[in-house]
Amino acid sequence: MNNISHNIANQNPDVIASRLLQTAHNRDGLPEIIIGLTFLILAAILWAQLVFRRGSLPYAAAILAASLGVPALIFSSQWIIKKLRRNFLIERVGFVEMKPVHRKRSFVVAAVALVIAVAALIAAWMGNGSPPPTSWILAGTGIGGGALLILAGRQPRSVVSGVLMAATGIVLAFSGISLQPGFAILYGVIGLLLFVSGTVAFLTLITKPAEPGE
Amino acid sequence: MSAKIQRLGEIDRVIHEPARLMVVALLAAVAEADFQYLRQATGLTQGNLSAHLSKLEEAGYVAIEKTFRGKYPLTICRLTERGTEVLNNYRKVIKAAF
Repeated sequence: MNNISHNIANQNPDVIASRLLQTAHNRDGLPEIIIGLTFLILAAILWAQLVFRRGSLPYAAAILAASLGVPALIFSSQWIIKKLRRNFLIERVGFVEMKPVHRKRSFVVAAVALVIAVAALIAAWMGNGSPPPTSWILAGTGIGGGALLILAGRQPRSVVSGVLMAATGIVLAFSGISLQPGFAILYGVIGLLLFVSGTVAFLTLITKPAEPGE
Repeated sequence: MSAKIQRLGEIDRVIHEPARLMVVALLAAVAEADFQYLRQATGLTQGNLSAHLSKLEEAGYVAIEKTFRGKYPLTICRLTERGTEVLNNYRKVIKAAF
């Protein structure tokens, strides 16, 4: 039995369920592969904007990819993962049908997050009379993103990725690099990390013999 | 002894068992899940999970349906209304006591 079952009695069943679901969701590495790919594409787009001349065709293509391709990948990622699992991995990861997403609640959460982000930016702007320094933004993104990875991943490999993301953000902050190349490197590093760790987890899962069902 | 603590006596013993609580909590969070998914998520062995599911089915808390997806046999499990009711009551008692 896994370690969650220790001291499980007297715990809130919702907490137990959310831990188990998160661990199961990240077990095959597919979410990491998709998120890693998204970060790698973002890094490539940022890099293309730095390398190519403004107004050139590759520059326009990079802007188009950033505004259309990345959101499309983000919004379709859950659907892609579900299809891959149902069609190719069902014997190994099993079958699960999630409850329909409560749209109103999701909208409220997104709206609150947006308001908080905008308020934080305005507060920082008004407090200093200027936007936060580049180093703060890079370090903050690295540390915040790393913490999010550790909390959401619920796997030992997510802790490694999270710590490395935070460390990359801090190193970039101290290097004095400007914002756009800094983000290109940060996204590139984390994208590569997630893609590699997800691929290793996925290959480990599919090379192990499938356990018989009931 | 306070009334809140005394209410712990009302806890349903079928779902208070740790492994069964894991299964019921998981099933409450999803629409339905198959045996393989439950085994992966809970880390229980095949025999152990099978025994716990039988007890939950006997108590009327879980409905089990055998079906196929292509050639792959699926044992689909869902929480029944009775199961949801018992889990909600369990939540209330635990929340009040701790």
